[in-house]
Amino acid sequence: MRLDIIIGFRLKYEYYNIMATISKKLLEHLAELARIELTADESKKLLKDLKKILKHFEELKELDTTKTAPMTGGTLLRNIFREDEVDFGQKSEMTNIEGRIIDSFPEVEKGFLKVPKVFE
Amino acid sequence: MKHLHNLTIKQVHNDLLDKKYTALELAQNCFKWIETEDKKIDAFLNLDKEAAYSQAEKTDLLIAQNKPIDMLAGVPMAIKDNILIEGQPATAGSKILENYKAVYDATVIKKLKSVGAVFLGKTNLDEFAMGSSTENSAFKKTKNPRDLSRVPGGSSGGSAAAVAANMAVAALGTDTGGSIRLPAAFCNIVGLCPTYGAVSRYGVIAMASSLDQVGPLTKTAEDAAWVFKAILGHDSYDATSASVDYGEELINPRLENIKKLTIGLPDEYFTGGLSEEVEKNINLAIEKLKGLGLKFKKISLPHTKYALSCYYIIVPAEVSANLARYDGIRYAAIPEIENSTKTLKEIYFKTRSRGFGPEAKRRIILGAFVLSSGYYDAYYTKAQKVRSLIKKDFDEAFKKVDVILTPVSPTGPFKIGEKIDDPMSLYLADIFTIPSKLAGLPAVSIPPGFQLIGRHWREQDILGIGQFFEKIA
Repeated sequence: MRLDIIIGFRLKYEYYNIMATISKKLLEHLAELARIELTADESKKLLKDLKKILKHFEELKELDTTKTAPMTGGTLLRNIFREDEVDFGQKSEMTNIEGRIIDSFPEVEKGFLKVPKVFE
Repeated sequence: MKHLHNLTIKQVHNDLLDKKYTALELAQNCFKWIETEDKKIDAFLNLDKEAAYSQAEKTDLLIAQNKPIDMLAGVPMAIKDNILIEGQPATAGSKILENYKAVYDATVIKKLKSVGAVFLGKTNLDEFAMGSSTENSAFKKTKNPRDLSRVPGGSSGGSAAAVAANMAVAALGTDTGGSIRLPAAFCNIVGLCPTYGAVSRYGVIAMASSLDQVGPLTKTAEDAAWVFKAILGHDSYDATSASVDYGEELINPRLENIKKLTIGLPDEYFTGGLSEEVEKNINLAIEKLKGLGLKFKKISLPHTKYALSCYYIIVPAEVSANLARYDGIRYAAIPEIENSTKTLKEIYFKTRSRGFGPEAKRRIILGAFVLSSGYYDAYYTKAQKVRSLIKKDFDEAFKKVDVILTPVSPTGPFKIGEKIDDPMSLYLADIFTIPSKLAGLPAVSIPPGFQLIGRHWREQDILGIGQFFEKIA
């Protein structure tokens, strides 16, 4: 089974069992996904804070939103498409910035960012 | 030369043209004042004298040549440290960006440079602009110039304090849920959060992209209009930015037109919980505005009480996505990473665990929670639907009134440390600035602590009322 399905199943399972609150186990799992290592103290404090915050969110259940469309962004603008043309002024500016970004990399090889091996 | 207190942008402009002082002398004067004053206040994270002086000299040269100069030419400004200035640090108040140097100018910086504004330095903020007190910075706690034992508000607390303490004539901040308006109110200056999309965010370190907006912190409403005019406009590097013609009245409002505006007072913002001082100031402001001939009407924004929950679901969701990019590689490594750190995963974990502060971690994990499958609909989609309801409240209200007046915050500035252990109580400082932001509306904070919310793209209404209020206050 795919990992995301397993995780999804587990989250759903927890959701129905502990009524939309957060467990230590789930917190640790989320921290792992976010690539954050929590100390025991941090984890304890965070769990307490999040429980309190999630409890506050419960008030949203009072609202009937079955017929409301979600507002998915901040803008009222509609998307428009433009011709896919090269803007040479912009391109040279970007090439310039690109050069400076590459210069600021900790390690560079042939213009690429060099990082440690992902797989052994 | 004595320190030049209480300078407005217009005053600087006139003084420069009258040759009372040069732009260079003014910049030098500011740095001298910062040297003594900022020891108490801690508004700045970094100063760049060289860049400021060379920019100031450009204006002095134009004046010497009798060439016209822009209103902002030679005006010493402070810039919040989540806005990029090429070659200068941009930490966003976070340890994770301690060694980062910006490689390009934000669009707002480019625009201000082109009209000759002088950047004194970068100002302190809550880490990644997450906070309401500027206590969440990884580097220092900024104090309120009016009372050093109190917070300046946040997250643009450094910018607000710099202007309030006369260390800069004007400043730029960013506002996601109140981060310009709250510190402006706490420091008794003007802070404008423009309509979502009025100002480009290119080169601004993102916190919550459906809400982030750049705006001015100034001493007067007219100054706010001048800075806003200089930074607004469409930018091909920010797809949410729009091109809008604000017309002449953005700077020069006509009393005749301002008097025609009806101001709404939403019940939900005045039902208890206001401190005595806030209530007194608001009532005084209302009386003064009535004296100008403005009409008031009671209105209702029924979903106001749900705005805080809505906001604190949407923001962490966007934070968890925006802050995923800080991996310890692309934006410089943090000093704490030992050379022995070998694998990529190790670098990620060490960088993010040591680089992010408690509020950033709280929001990243809360965001990951509300976005995870199984909780997504219950929290994130629900919050987006509630956001629609909140926006609809304002749409309805603006059928009856032109502008809405509210307090900026239920209380004045609180003591440093007072709310640091209880995030929920800190979040409550923003309950009056969040709803208009969720609806993408422009809003300005005017001393002594009231907020004017306008229709989309109608900054001239709220700043215009502000300008006339200042004349009679």
